[in-house]
Amino acid sequence: MSKTAENLPLGNEELDERRIRVGETAILLLIACVIGTISNYVSTGIGAFEALPGMAILYVCSVIGLMLARFVPFYLPAVAWVSLIAIIATIPGVPGSEWVVEQADKINFLSLATPALAYGGLALSAKEFAIARKSGWKIVIVAICVMLGTYLGSVVIADLALRFF
Amino acid sequence: MRDTPAFGSGTLALHAIVLMIVCIAEMIGVLRLPIGIAAIILLPMLYAFAMGIALNPNITRATGRFLTPGVQKFAGGMITIAITPFVAKFGTTVGPQIQPIIDAGPALILQEIGNLGTIVVAFPIAVFLLGMGRETVGAVYSIDREPNLALIAEKYGLDSPEGAGVMGVYATGTLIGTFVFALMPPLIHALGVFDIRALAMSCGVGSGSMLAACTGALVTLIPEQKDLILGLAGASNVLTYATGLYVGMFVALPLTEWLFRKARPELYKLG
Repeated sequence: MSKTAENLPLGNEELDERRIRVGETAILLLIACVIGTISNYVSTGIGAFEALPGMAILYVCSVIGLMLARFVPFYLPAVAWVSLIAIIATIPGVPGSEWVVEQADKINFLSLATPALAYGGLALSAKEFAIARKSGWKIVIVAICVMLGTYLGSVVIADLALRFF
Repeated sequence: MRDTPAFGSGTLALHAIVLMIVCIAEMIGVLRLPIGIAAIILLPMLYAFAMGIALNPNITRATGRFLTPGVQKFAGGMITIAITPFVAKFGTTVGPQIQPIIDAGPALILQEIGNLGTIVVAFPIAVFLLGMGRETVGAVYSIDREPNLALIAEKYGLDSPEGAGVMGVYATGTLIGTFVFALMPPLIHALGVFDIRALAMSCGVGSGSMLAACTGALVTLIPEQKDLILGLAGASNVLTYATGLYVGMFVALPLTEWLFRKARPELYKLG
């Protein structure tokens, strides 16, 4: 996909996470976790020391997930691996799961999304603004319909399935 | 091939600006504005995104001194990294809820098919109401996040009409997706017909920020169901991560293209 890759606003490495450099990513993840810890403190008042075990757990899940995505020979996105590890670590009956849940509970999930969106706003390139502007109002309508359709389609089917099964 | 080093003064300035934005956003906190029987939920991540756009060098020239295009590109990579601990946190909400999740198993699996609802809603509007061309195929086949973008890039190239469609919805979704996913669930909940579990599991559309906005809004609305909402949404999101690309490749994209060839055969005659 060399011909098309140069047109991507994201650059290739965001789309193909197999190429990530694990060492550098581990350090950048640490920075993200520090910002996340401060974000969590501002929103919940839970201090860094109390939040440390919980953040450490999330950090370890993230690093292992990224490494699995890098080295396992079939395609599954890194976020899927990260989720699976975190899920397994918290299933009742798995050794230590109660402690993991107790510690992770001290981290507010919304506080961890805030830094990502701040990076997102700052990352928008001239090209992305230009595409959004050039695509015009039709694409805005279609984009809203796409999101509404994806969500509502799932809601309707899920609701029916919950009634029947 | 990144021209900006990952650890330098430019990226340091970036992290500092992000930290400042995050602190302000979290200090404002969650706001709930009632409108009639529904409510508009405003989340810190929305303010953070808005502040990020306001300080974006393409909007505010002054920040361009630190935030060079190279640093901005690095910021794009940081989104993926910063969302990873959030994804891990979401995973930890799934394990404790494993029993209600298994009970809702059939619904959870079947609602993945519901993601094809994008075609049901957006296809007729794009083709018959707005008169769009082959852009439609790229635009409406999926929610148009990164994996879907990559699929279109590989199959058609991003300089094709299909590529323009996927890029348009991708860029628009990046700009307004978080807002739409924060506003939509409370309004649909206000209809009063849908099970909260259905609203929760449908939040898992395979985008971290959309998942965050959607569940954030639902949890603010019904705080006593927090654990159940997060667990179901997290489980559904993992399913979408695992199946999304394959559903797009083998079902959604061929289906959309077939529909479009039926609707507008004249656009394919010239080859």
